[in-house]
Amino acid sequence: MPEALTRGLNPLLILAALALAAYALFGAGPYGLRVLTVAGVYAIAVIGYQAIFGQAGALSLAQGTFFGIGAYVTGILGSTSGFGFAVTFPLSILAPTLLALLIAVPVLRLESHYFALATLGIGQVVLLAAVEWQSLTGGANGIAGVPGIDLFGWRVGRGLPLALFVWTLVALGALLAWLLGHGRRGAAFPIMRETPVAARTLGIDIDRLRLEAFAVSAAYGGAAGALTAHTQRVVSPEVLEFPVMVTILTVAVIGGQGRIAGAVVGAVLLIHLPEWFRGLENGYLILYGAALLATIVAAPWGIVGSLERLRARLIPERPPAAPAASAPPARPTSKPSLPASSAPVLYVDGFGKRFGGVQAVSDVSLRLDRGRILGVIGPNGSGKTTLINLITGLEKADAGKLYVSDADITGEPPHRRALAGIARSFQTAALPSDSTVLEAVTAARIAIDSDIATARSHAMHFIVQAGIADLVHTRCGALPPGPRRAVELARALARQPLAMLLDEPAAGLTEDEQASLARRLRAAADDGIAIMIVEHNMPFLLPLADRILCLDEGRAIAEGTPGSIRRDPAVIAAYLG
Amino acid sequence: MILAQLMVNGIALGAAYALVALGFVLVLNATGAVNFAQGDLVMAGGFLAVALAGFIPDAPGFVLLPLVMALMALLGIAVSATAYLPLRNRPPVGVFISTIAVGIILQNGATVLFGPEPKAAAPLFGGGAFTIAGLQVPTQSIAVIATAALLIAGQYWLFTHTQLGRRLRATAQDPGMARACGIPVTSMIALTFALGAALAGAAGLLLSNQFFVTPSAGSGLILKAYIAVTIGGWGSLPGAVIGALLIAAFEVVVSYTLSYTAATAALYLALLAILAVRPQGLFGEASRRRA
Repeated sequence: MPEALTRGLNPLLILAALALAAYALFGAGPYGLRVLTVAGVYAIAVIGYQAIFGQAGALSLAQGTFFGIGAYVTGILGSTSGFGFAVTFPLSILAPTLLALLIAVPVLRLESHYFALATLGIGQVVLLAAVEWQSLTGGANGIAGVPGIDLFGWRVGRGLPLALFVWTLVALGALLAWLLGHGRRGAAFPIMRETPVAARTLGIDIDRLRLEAFAVSAAYGGAAGALTAHTQRVVSPEVLEFPVMVTILTVAVIGGQGRIAGAVVGAVLLIHLPEWFRGLENGYLILYGAALLATIVAAPWGIVGSLERLRARLIPERPPAAPAASAPPARPTSKPSLPASSAPVLYVDGFGKRFGGVQAVSDVSLRLDRGRILGVIGPNGSGKTTLINLITGLEKADAGKLYVSDADITGEPPHRRALAGIARSFQTAALPSDSTVLEAVTAARIAIDSDIATARSHAMHFIVQAGIADLVHTRCGALPPGPRRAVELARALARQPLAMLLDEPAAGLTEDEQASLARRLRAAADDGIAIMIVEHNMPFLLPLADRILCLDEGRAIAEGTPGSIRRDPAVIAAYLG
Repeated sequence: MILAQLMVNGIALGAAYALVALGFVLVLNATGAVNFAQGDLVMAGGFLAVALAGFIPDAPGFVLLPLVMALMALLGIAVSATAYLPLRNRPPVGVFISTIAVGIILQNGATVLFGPEPKAAAPLFGGGAFTIAGLQVPTQSIAVIATAALLIAGQYWLFTHTQLGRRLRATAQDPGMARACGIPVTSMIALTFALGAALAGAAGLLLSNQFFVTPSAGSGLILKAYIAVTIGGWGSLPGAVIGALLIAAFEVVVSYTLSYTAATAALYLALLAILAVRPQGLFGEASRRRA
């Protein structure tokens, strides 16, 4: 059974759901049903919010805005045009989704804090528009006389029918969110959230995933807004004000970030909280703020996350059986008719890169050949890591061209270069600390394999090959340096790359580990991979490499066999001496 | 004539915004964290000035200013202890949320204590205006400009000419190395939050006389601080001051020719345009990203 589903199915949660259903059917009065309905509306808004905030990991402060726009669309159309729910509801979903796609262009590629504040700014603009555009929105007074839900002539009455209708939509929304968020996409989210840079070099198009998540969040926000308009029967600028966003964020964090069940549990709890503390009147938002602060400091995984941990402690769960390893089909090498030595696998033609006043890389050319290992050496700051970043596309070169198997990929973004056959490791191993070794290596396969089960079993093949099968369920954050390197190498190899670029792979390893790493790299080269190794450790690198390139102040000062490089006067002066 | 009048108003408003933006950048540089509560701290400073005026009737603003700043500094230390220090080793989104939570508490605390209506604090040196070359200049505007200039100069002097300032800068540049050199990094961070909150408090007192203060003013103010910092270059102190003056000038001119709503909307749309074209700000990023 897929773990994303079982993860939310806690016996306590099922009991709570049954108790809630019994309360709704037999115990709740009209007011209680109304509160439950509002809780359902917020559950929908937060299920959507989990996509962008919990899963994609981007702190959007626009969810309240999407909610408000949905409410206004239903309010305006419902009160004036006479359209029924079948027309107004889809339009209420469509309008905020279109807005999300529109604003995604400037804001989605922004870094976290810019994104948060830019989405807040958009919310302020929409709020101003709602207050000022009186002919359309009714200004500060808003729109009265929004009809109830009328679906093809079937009127959903107040009280129990409306509550059941909203909660049916909650269930459908949760199911749809689960379908969207599991499988290959679900496996990509933790990698993209925790190590976005590494995710790009694994061939994962995180811009597109973020865009999809943002659009999904807007659609759910709009749906919830439409339902709130039908529930309240009035729409005023209040639906666009910050308390709505505060409630959504608080529900998501306290319920459990990224978890569908967390959205539902959080909504039921927090929407009822003000009812239980009646004496607070409008001060309930202080309570939200305090609860939000306490949760983020003490238990950032929220209620559902706490339940998972509690269950894990009470009933120590045996880790799921590792999938059977199966060897992936060999990657078709391009142009197999050519003799292996003639064309380089990867060819850099005159790369140049400036950072402000510093010329980090200047007119560097290099070729990586099938089955050969190129060592890159040079003093600190000579441009070695920048060179890898330029090849993988994490930095944009000012000058020069890049070819993989004769195809010019200079203009391609990082994930396309990865798909063209480039893999890399990072100087400080960039593994998602909350993911297991199996999950981390599986991430390398999700852009290649057609489904998650195949990706897992192929990943298992490379884990076994790397000799770390006993660590398969260990969290990456708990790994010592040696195994971390081994996992990163397994992840790079799992991409079945044509060319593999390693940034100081031997740093921090014991001599035994270094010897075993050297054997693995030689074996990988013998399998036909073209390898480039940036390294300071000469006793490790010189016996291993076929050729050495020496950089100094961004320039290539020497290239040759390890023996000739060792005797090169320029290299000795700049580095080895 | 009208242009000169607008200029005085714009500089006074910009001077107050500059204090907001400076406090925001100080914390940003020292911790790499975005303090979303900065706008709400300004609001809290405004209400603190209103409340203190209740205890000390008829006290002019310049008497209240040191009191407000001292109390706000304590609040800043409390914010760092509850919302930043426990989360310093976690992903930055944790601090975003915790400071949003602090903002929620401040905003709704103010609503419960003072009600949602706008309040005004005492002017710095009494009301009135004087005439220079036929130009009516409100005393308050000049006093605001002078006070803000004094505080900005003091902040500059602290950071460039004192041992404490060197320690604060060392902490901002590289906390690990600063700790290795024997600098008490945690205290320095708490102190930076105290400074940021004190500047916010001063801005709150200065702004709340002419422009009033409401509990929900925070989100507008944080956006303005953020826009000023984005325009001036993320992490640059002089840039923050210049950015604040620019947006205040923009706001005053557009408010005068069109309306305040149009000015605010145009400002946010301009921000989105800037972000779309130059995500690193108009003058480049001064601080390296710490993700």
